Amino acid sequence: MARQMLNAKSKSLMAKLYWCCACLVLAATAARAETAPTADSVERGSYLARAADCVACHTAPGGKEFAGGLPMPTPLGRIYSTNITPDRETGIGSYSVEDFTRAVREGVAKDGHYLYPAMPFPAYAKISDADIQLLYAYFQHGVAPVKHANWPSDIPFPLSVRFPLFFWDMFVRRGPFQPNASQDAQWNRGAYLVQGLGHCGTCHSPRALTLHTKALTERDGPAFLAGAVIDGWYAKSLRGDKDGLGQWSEADIVTFLKTGITDSTAAFGDMAEVVQHSTQYLTDDDLAAIARYLKSLPGHQKEPAVAAGAHTASSANDDHPTRGSAAYDEFCVTCHRADGGGVTHIFPALAGNDVVETAEATSLVHIVLSGGRRPRTTARPNPFAMPAFKTLDDREVAEIVTYIRTAWGNSASPVTAEQVAKIRATLTEAEATE
Amino acid sequence: MNLALPENKIPILRHAVMTGLLVVVLLLPALAETPTQQQPKAVALVKLAPPHIADIPNDDKGKQILLGRRLLADTKKLLPNNVGAELNCDSCHLNGGNVPFASPYLGMSVNYPRDNPRAGRSVTLEERVNGCLLRSMNGKALPIDSPEMKAMIAYFNWLSAGLPRNAKVEGAGIGKVDNNLVPDPIHGKELYEAKCAECHGTNGEGLKNARNEFVFPPLWGAESFNIGAGMARTYTSAAFIKNNMPIAHGLNAPLGQGGALSDQDAVDVAEYFTHQPRPDFPPKVKDWPNGGKPKDSRY
Repeated sequence: MARQMLNAKSKSLMAKLYWCCACLVLAATAARAETAPTADSVERGSYLARAADCVACHTAPGGKEFAGGLPMPTPLGRIYSTNITPDRETGIGSYSVEDFTRAVREGVAKDGHYLYPAMPFPAYAKISDADIQLLYAYFQHGVAPVKHANWPSDIPFPLSVRFPLFFWDMFVRRGPFQPNASQDAQWNRGAYLVQGLGHCGTCHSPRALTLHTKALTERDGPAFLAGAVIDGWYAKSLRGDKDGLGQWSEADIVTFLKTGITDSTAAFGDMAEVVQHSTQYLTDDDLAAIARYLKSLPGHQKEPAVAAGAHTASSANDDHPTRGSAAYDEFCVTCHRADGGGVTHIFPALAGNDVVETAEATSLVHIVLSGGRRPRTTARPNPFAMPAFKTLDDREVAEIVTYIRTAWGNSASPVTAEQVAKIRATLTEAEATE
Repeated sequence: MNLALPENKIPILRHAVMTGLLVVVLLLPALAETPTQQQPKAVALVKLAPPHIADIPNDDKGKQILLGRRLLADTKKLLPNNVGAELNCDSCHLNGGNVPFASPYLGMSVNYPRDNPRAGRSVTLEERVNGCLLRSMNGKALPIDSPEMKAMIAYFNWLSAGLPRNAKVEGAGIGKVDNNLVPDPIHGKELYEAKCAECHGTNGEGLKNARNEFVFPPLWGAESFNIGAGMARTYTSAAFIKNNMPIAHGLNAPLGQGGALSDQDAVDVAEYFTHQPRPDFPPKVKDWPNGGKPKDSRY
């Protein structure tokens, strides 16, 4: 623990040193930054904002782009994303590039208050100076100003006092991106995008009890991108685990991020939005770099994710169907087919699908209950949807899910009605009522 | 829940009665506002609440019901001598006949025999099934007393168990679109290519999986339904499309079906695809012997 703290402290010191250097560089270029940037800078900044998926959080449903107001539930109450349009009064129009840098990388607003760590600043700290400049150019000159005052959080006093975030902040491991000299440029580009702008670890890396992300880079150990439950979904492992990306090729990853689907699977839940708003816009080179980097992350030696030999519900040769296979036939078979093979590019296969087979059945149960839409992308403009089966009771859902986890050679552990009830309780208001 | 129903009544009956009552109650204000009541009595709609397959008993009767269900879902494979097209009953009666406005099987048993203007007489449920085999599946009739026909009827009867005679089921049939809308097949072709072709093929040829099995049915050509099918009629087809196509479009169970096209769009796309080349139906000359042929009839 002490070592960890020391480590955190030294990283914090490094961050401060880095910060000073960055300030010097920025001060030297301040005069230039004040003048209007080139159209090319704004365009490149726009691409980086896509890569960072700023729009996902900083736009409310039906609201103006980047004007904030998206409610985000926290254990203490709801907080709302902020207006990051260049409106001088309500947005970030009065931010200097230094103010902007501090907010993005350090999580400190212009007036000195600490941002809630829903803002992934520990990841954004990895964004290079050059890219910060381009992002600043875009948000000042490429985004239309919108007058829209930020909403206060629903967090009650005294918990709403933000000063303690300073202490939380002290223990954030952070630091600029550190290239790995033993790897080539493509790998390093992938690492930079995944760790920084892409902030993949914000969902896909497990968090400590203090809610700090346990690992921010591959150097921080096997917890990095090892998968985590967040907002009622299981953000899968992006490492070489069997239920991670172990069965994915680099080409699969590129296709998935570009189109929202592969031959046999599809993005769903929050990832559908990530693909729709962010990754589909990335260049093929950047996507290839991300795939290369992710595929370099080894899986865990033990394979706790899949419980071997749990063929409890298999019924292929039985005369009479089990309850699970009968329910599958009634509710799932039209799209996912009797052999669990789905339909290429249209309906995901369930046989051999790592989302189905993972020990962490949260996402599987969640999507059965809530349904979901796959992303609408330029490459795949018809966003096929999975209907919601929330009217089925916990037992029926457990029977279906257990069946698909054990049929067609799948071998995952059964799911109980109690587990379904717990996951049902995490559905959002919209999911539960839509 | 406080209705005193005998305990030996099966749950579906209780369910049906409860929902029927609920619908009547919901309809009351609407009826009260109608100045002149056209209909002599309120028609109680029974909710389309199919029993679960998991509850089919493991006995001879249950086996027959399950066989019927399989025959309806996999008709071409199981009845190759009776099905000419590459279609199954479930190609139109989606998802085992439990989808509203996809001509659900639920309720059919208590609504046949019934008048059929096309035949000019009353037809039995078995005759209606054979009508589908001859027209929609471009094939041959099944003997009325064949085990396959009996199995299909057994499945219909299981779905309709507990329903009163002539019960009106919510979502029965395929719904309606205004047949005064003027079809635009050029726009229909554009819509087809943007919204339908991904599954049904640019040339209406359907889509097969890796095992060479059809997963989306062919919509025209030699392997599709003939001109004698109801689906070959523009407004019938448009109603089906509006209510059911595409599947996997929304979050609504059971298929996320329908709701993607306006009535006009549905009429346009229906006009386009129904009028592509498809098999003839020579016995058409006997249809509508007493007149009343609809304006979108193909002959």
